[in-house]
Amino acid sequence: MSEKERRPEEDGRDFADAAWSVPSYLLSGMLVWGGLGWLLSRWTGVHAFIPIGLILGVALAVYLVYLKHGR
Amino acid sequence: MDTLTLLAADKFQAPGPSIFDFPPLYAGAPAWLNKPVLFAVVGALIVCVFMWSAFANPKLVPRGVQNIGEIGYIFVRDQVARPFLGKDAERWMPLLLSVFSLILLWNLFGVVPFVQFPIASHIAFPAIFAGTIYVIKLYLGIKHQGFLGYFKNMMFPPGLPKPIYVLLAPIEFLSNLIIAPFTHAVRLFANMFAGHLILAFFSAVGFWFLFEKLTPLGAGLGVLGVIMTIAMTGFEIFIQFLQAFLFAMLAAMYLGGSLHPEH
Repeated sequence: MSEKERRPEEDGRDFADAAWSVPSYLLSGMLVWGGLGWLLSRWTGVHAFIPIGLILGVALAVYLVYLKHGR
Repeated sequence: MDTLTLLAADKFQAPGPSIFDFPPLYAGAPAWLNKPVLFAVVGALIVCVFMWSAFANPKLVPRGVQNIGEIGYIFVRDQVARPFLGKDAERWMPLLLSVFSLILLWNLFGVVPFVQFPIASHIAFPAIFAGTIYVIKLYLGIKHQGFLGYFKNMMFPPGLPKPIYVLLAPIEFLSNLIIAPFTHAVRLFANMFAGHLILAFFSAVGFWFLFEKLTPLGAGLGVLGVIMTIAMTGFEIFIQFLQAFLFAMLAAMYLGGSLHPEH
């Protein structure tokens, strides 16, 4: 959040931005890192990589939303 | 078509995805020329005529149709355009107002007697809208931030240690360029599809148990079906308005994000 004073519309915009970008970030996180986990599990035969990738993806997506809108 | 399938069967059959399939309008018509396409065009014409009669000859003190038109314009400007586009809001109002009013009318067709089909429940229609917004978003982003700048602003939020970017940049890329336009279209489509199915189901229950197979035990269920049809129609009108608003709002959000990078 910047130092200069923010008008209420801008807060509203930020909130809406955050709220509506969350689902697509979560989906993307799961697809990218869950997908990598799936590839790894096919390559190594260790199935645990799929849930690890999915959870890592969701965690990163939540962290990304925090970085963009929560700070 | 509902009634025909209901009459043909002896047992109650819940309406399924087949209620979204329509035959050509008349014998010998091309296969694409069916009821949804007809009413998509009718809806566009109604919006054109409405806007023309409201704003072609505007008065300082609005009367009649101009009043309603101005309420719509002010709603879209203050709730959709200004929060996301700021001082550029007026420039984008023609696009946003057209998108909002056409989608709202198409959605409302779902509860208009005899039309009774929300056009956006065929995914091609919202997909074309979302695709158009997507192309404008990319064009504006590259024009205002430069080709590399656009992708840099999108994928690399500033002020992070470098290794973190390796983890986050692919998520940003996929989210902004693939998932966002997809959910933009699917959100409208799925709401209209499900809403139409719910209305068709409850009205089929009412029709079947009160008119087709009236029995002392079934009558109560039929009455419940009719009551639920009325209640869900009210709910659907709310959802239809909400989804038209959300579609326009997300369009404004994407365009605003391309015009003014966040940081």
